[in-house]
Amino acid sequence: MLALGAIGAIVAYAGATGGRLAPLADGAGTLGLALLTVAIVLRLPAVVPWAIIVTAGGYLAGREGRALVDGWAAVVGVLLLLAAELALWSIDHDDRIRAERSLTVRRVVTLTALTAAALLVNFGLLGAAAVAAPAGFVLATAGIAAAVTAVAVVLRLARA
Amino acid sequence: MTRSATPKLAGYAGLSGVGLLTALVFVRPEVVALTAPFLLALAAGLALATPPKLAAGVGVERERAIEGDEVGGHVVVSSSTPVDRLDLYLRLPDGVELVDGTNPVALRLAAGESRRLDFTLRAAHWGAYVIGPLYLRARDPLGFLVWEQTAATRSDVRVYPREEVLQRIVQPRETQVSSGNEVSRRKGEGIEFADVRPWAAGDPLNRINWRASARGGELWVNESHPERNTDVIFFVDSFAEARRGREGTLDLTVRATSALADAYVGRRDRVGLISFGGILRWLAPGAGTVQLYRMVDALLDTEVILSHYWREIDVIPRRTLPPNALVIALSPLLDPRSVGALLDLHARGHDLAVFDVSPVPFTARPQGKLDAIAYDIWILRHDALRHRLQRAGIAVAEWNDDAPLQAAVEEVRAFRRYARHARV
Repeated sequence: MLALGAIGAIVAYAGATGGRLAPLADGAGTLGLALLTVAIVLRLPAVVPWAIIVTAGGYLAGREGRALVDGWAAVVGVLLLLAAELALWSIDHDDRIRAERSLTVRRVVTLTALTAAALLVNFGLLGAAAVAAPAGFVLATAGIAAAVTAVAVVLRLARA
Repeated sequence: MTRSATPKLAGYAGLSGVGLLTALVFVRPEVVALTAPFLLALAAGLALATPPKLAAGVGVERERAIEGDEVGGHVVVSSSTPVDRLDLYLRLPDGVELVDGTNPVALRLAAGESRRLDFTLRAAHWGAYVIGPLYLRARDPLGFLVWEQTAATRSDVRVYPREEVLQRIVQPRETQVSSGNEVSRRKGEGIEFADVRPWAAGDPLNRINWRASARGGELWVNESHPERNTDVIFFVDSFAEARRGREGTLDLTVRATSALADAYVGRRDRVGLISFGGILRWLAPGAGTVQLYRMVDALLDTEVILSHYWREIDVIPRRTLPPNALVIALSPLLDPRSVGALLDLHARGHDLAVFDVSPVPFTARPQGKLDAIAYDIWILRHDALRHRLQRAGIAVAEWNDDAPLQAAVEEVRAFRRYARHARV
């Protein structure tokens, strides 16, 4: 339900921003919501990425024709991740396997930490993009990829 | 241990790739913002993924149990590396039920931690069971990779059938030479009075019958029947069985054989086993508790194996059918090969008693008219087969689970007491 709520929030935001392709944005958002529902109900993890792509496409269609970078894109990206994570958690869940309570707590903590880190990265990304736009978008993307790699290396070292 | 990627890994990698490509094509920073969380999750997940080094074992409190007993057990699992989620599944065979404990279970292990999970099993049905294997599935913290392993350790549990206590058993016509509890028909040293005869040189004085000697005017001595042991061979028909759900004629056969063998071993008789079916198994006669365990162990391995090979009793090793042995056959009388073998045994002079483990309770009368007629004919043929054996002079008693085994034993005893020998 939370996953569907996250996707629903994105669809509502995309619809509220209007734009030239607002009907397309609404249609894509609704399709994304339907795909995610199907994925959860029928336990099809392979469908989740398609639901995310369609919903993201709907959001981008809503942004068509606007030159200004949307600051809320950072939150939208995190909501997409949250929706995907919660949907996959729901699909993974098996009532026959009795899980210890600490496992659930740990997963919630991990998910919270991941979304918080993603939010930070996204805000950093959008800020860097605004600064680095004149220098070239490819360079900014490479910089973000390097930042993400650095985070991964730090985590790996911490784990070891 | 096998490692595999979950659908999540492919999905997130695809999303990241598509997102970055779209961002480059459309030159929109928002697309990167939508993609970056997935890329971050992917990078963090793979960075945190550590191959687990697991050790696991399964143990049970005891390896032998009686039907209906509860047996405690445990699973011990340890890891030298941290495991964020470890799914454990212990495969339990049919006939063994989990009473207490959880299976499957998911838990978390810190580096160097060892966990012991206790459980209680109920032996619902006789048989030889293997508890396990234990399947382990470990996941990384973000669920991108899965490591699966099957623990090599397994535990065996042998569940013996619950036995009925028999007050009396089928007595053999002939006894063997060793001492036992069966009063022999022959005369010799014993307790039971048999007859009197004139005194002969060497007869001990304490055997003189003074009353008879005073009447006859010469010395007479008492003769007695010696107490001897007997050889009993159980002939288990495993050519075919009738089964409904978890119960079948073979289950009843095993229970009855076990109960009868226990009764004979208690009398210091020698017991042996011939499992006559698709696969011929035998156990040479022996005495004592060890032999009883051997027999029950052999019975636990008895199963019906389909075979079209026409088997005759010539294939039975000679030493498993000693002379003067009582052969107790337990058969549902479903296969003509086993019926033929029984008639053959009788014709060769073996002392034979048959328990017809009735297949009828494991069948249902069909609803269709023609099917119902066919079913009735089958029942009549089965009865006719039993009567054919009886006409041949073989003691046959029908037995099913509703009646105590003792009733069938008494029926066989009565038949053997009053029946005349017949030639076949």
